[in-house]
Amino acid sequence: MSFWNYMEYAAWILSVIFGLYILIDWFRIESSYSEEALTSSREGELEAMTEQHKL
Amino acid sequence: MAKYKPPHQGKLGQIIDVVVLLILIIGALRLPLWLDLAGGAKTSAAFNPAATWADLGQNTPEKIAAYNALGFDTPNNEALQNIITARYDYTINYLQLLVMIVVVVGYFFLVIRFSGEEYKEVIAEKFGDRK
Amino acid sequence: MAKASEAAGGKVEKISLLRVLGPAHVWALGVGIVLVGEYMGWNFAVGKGGAYAALIACWFAGLLYTCVAMIDSEVTSTVAAAGGQYTQAKHIIGPLMAFNVGLYLVFAYTMLEAANAITLGYLVSQVAALSGYTGTLDQTPFIVLTILFLAWLNYRGVLATLNFNLVITAVAFVAIIVLFLSTLTGTTQLHHAGLMAGGASLPYGAIGVVAAMHFGLWYYLGIEGTTQAAEEVRSPARALPFGTMAGIITLLIAATLTWYICTGILPWEFLGDGVNGSVAPLFDASRLSGSTFLMVLLGIGTMFSTMASANGCINDASRAWFAMGRDHYLPQWFGAVHPKYRTPFRSIIFLVPIAILFALGAPLDQVITFSILSGLLEYTFMPINVIMFRRKWPLDTIKRGYVHPFHPIPAIVLLCLCAITYFAVFLGYGTQLIAMVGFYVVVSLWFHFWRYRFVKRGDQFTMPWPRPRGY
Repeated sequence: MSFWNYMEYAAWILSVIFGLYILIDWFRIESSYSEEALTSSREGELEAMTEQHKL
Repeated sequence: MAKYKPPHQGKLGQIIDVVVLLILIIGALRLPLWLDLAGGAKTSAAFNPAATWADLGQNTPEKIAAYNALGFDTPNNEALQNIITARYDYTINYLQLLVMIVVVVGYFFLVIRFSGEEYKEVIAEKFGDRK
Repeated sequence: MAKASEAAGGKVEKISLLRVLGPAHVWALGVGIVLVGEYMGWNFAVGKGGAYAALIACWFAGLLYTCVAMIDSEVTSTVAAAGGQYTQAKHIIGPLMAFNVGLYLVFAYTMLEAANAITLGYLVSQVAALSGYTGTLDQTPFIVLTILFLAWLNYRGVLATLNFNLVITAVAFVAIIVLFLSTLTGTTQLHHAGLMAGGASLPYGAIGVVAAMHFGLWYYLGIEGTTQAAEEVRSPARALPFGTMAGIITLLIAATLTWYICTGILPWEFLGDGVNGSVAPLFDASRLSGSTFLMVLLGIGTMFSTMASANGCINDASRAWFAMGRDHYLPQWFGAVHPKYRTPFRSIIFLVPIAILFALGAPLDQVITFSILSGLLEYTFMPINVIMFRRKWPLDTIKRGYVHPFHPIPAIVLLCLCAITYFAVFLGYGTQLIAMVGFYVVVSLWFHFWRYRFVKRGDQFTMPWPRPRGY
């Protein structure tokens, strides 16, 4: 096997690691927070506090 | 105006909506590819093993030197000839052009009209009905 | 201010995106997405019309994008929310337009991300070949790795993501400047006269110049993505116009230099075929310069620019998808924010397989055309948007962070340039254009007659503005 074959495998392995990191964290978050808390962001709230569109 | 109360959408309903969208997205992007309709209407001249650089219109020393540097030592190379002789066909099919104009203009007309209807409702609910 | 007080009195603690970015990040996001356009893809314009046509297209597209940047800066300095043009459309034109704009954004960016991954895979295979590897390298793992690594970075937080982008974008930009300087010192020889001799650099005549506008957009496509960061920028009204304008100036310089260098080194026929010929033109140009240093530098530049772009695309596409989920335009499940990293994590995850699906197995010019078409529909929406914005809220009714000059001339110029570009896409890629618009018609009907029932009506309007004129 040449260097580039190893690189192919290395790329696959790294892909799996990054993918697993995301997946594991995702399931952890889903199981430890309520749906209500996760989707509590509302558009314009920060906006309303930081910018006043008054002349 | 009475405040509009949207129905609650359950998990299953949400999943179905996502699947519908995915099918539409993948369909729109892959269908032209599957049907072999996707553009790039380009055609190359037939491969001619005996063609010289000059026959292919590559008649300055700089061009030949550049091809040599890119790894094409002779013009006797099918891939290279395909690249050099490929041309788009720009004869305009007026029927197709008309269809395109109707589709694009019609699309924007449709979207802006429906949006306008929905927008009136939004404003009425947000700011109250006009007296 | 009703919303703010509601938030303070709410039971559940709110989880929202973080305001951490400055103007340099806005520049990095905008230019980072686009700069890859100089490293690959723009050269299809040479194929469609010849070398000179690509330069003319570069400048006309530059004019188009200057209009886009001006218009966008005004509206976005006033409507500062994640979702960018989507939120603008929602407040100014109406929900269905907003839904369409949201999809344009997601499509344009996800397809661009796929194109970047394809280019990166190609680059790795080129490096392998140059290093003497004789087998056929499987590009798939490198494509998948790029997408997953950047998704991971985006998942972990916006500040690190855009700091990373700032560094690699700057390196990619400097690489182009260095290559240009090497042509001045004579290290790299340019042969414009010899390579563009005869009529061959305008093989189709005038119609080729029009046709080249299609890929001329690629020099700048994505600069309007700066607005997606609006909810994460510390001071959107200042940072967004500044970052966007600085971005468009950077790109005008980079695009012109790129054209000048590449047409002086590569024969136009080879340059114009971005699938079988020159996939990464600046890298190819540096290979012919004879300098190993330049070759390595531009190789790194190509790699960094593709990564910066894919990175910004994940950022932008997920913000747009998230914003639509938050408003129930899409299932509300997508409107979630990660409690620790403060990113729209479900949207990021959802878009990963879609990007991979298109990066594997579709030819580069098709993927780019999908991206360009979605962008083009978005630019057509912008002049309509700004004209309605000025009509519904004239200058004296709300405070704008930035007011663009000469209204409505930029809007009209933009609309005309869009019309020309539709025709340019029609030349050679007509069926794709019709298929794409057909798709948007179908999803529009789906939204209007089905999906919109789940959307709260008055609550969508979140800006603290007065009632629009005429309603």
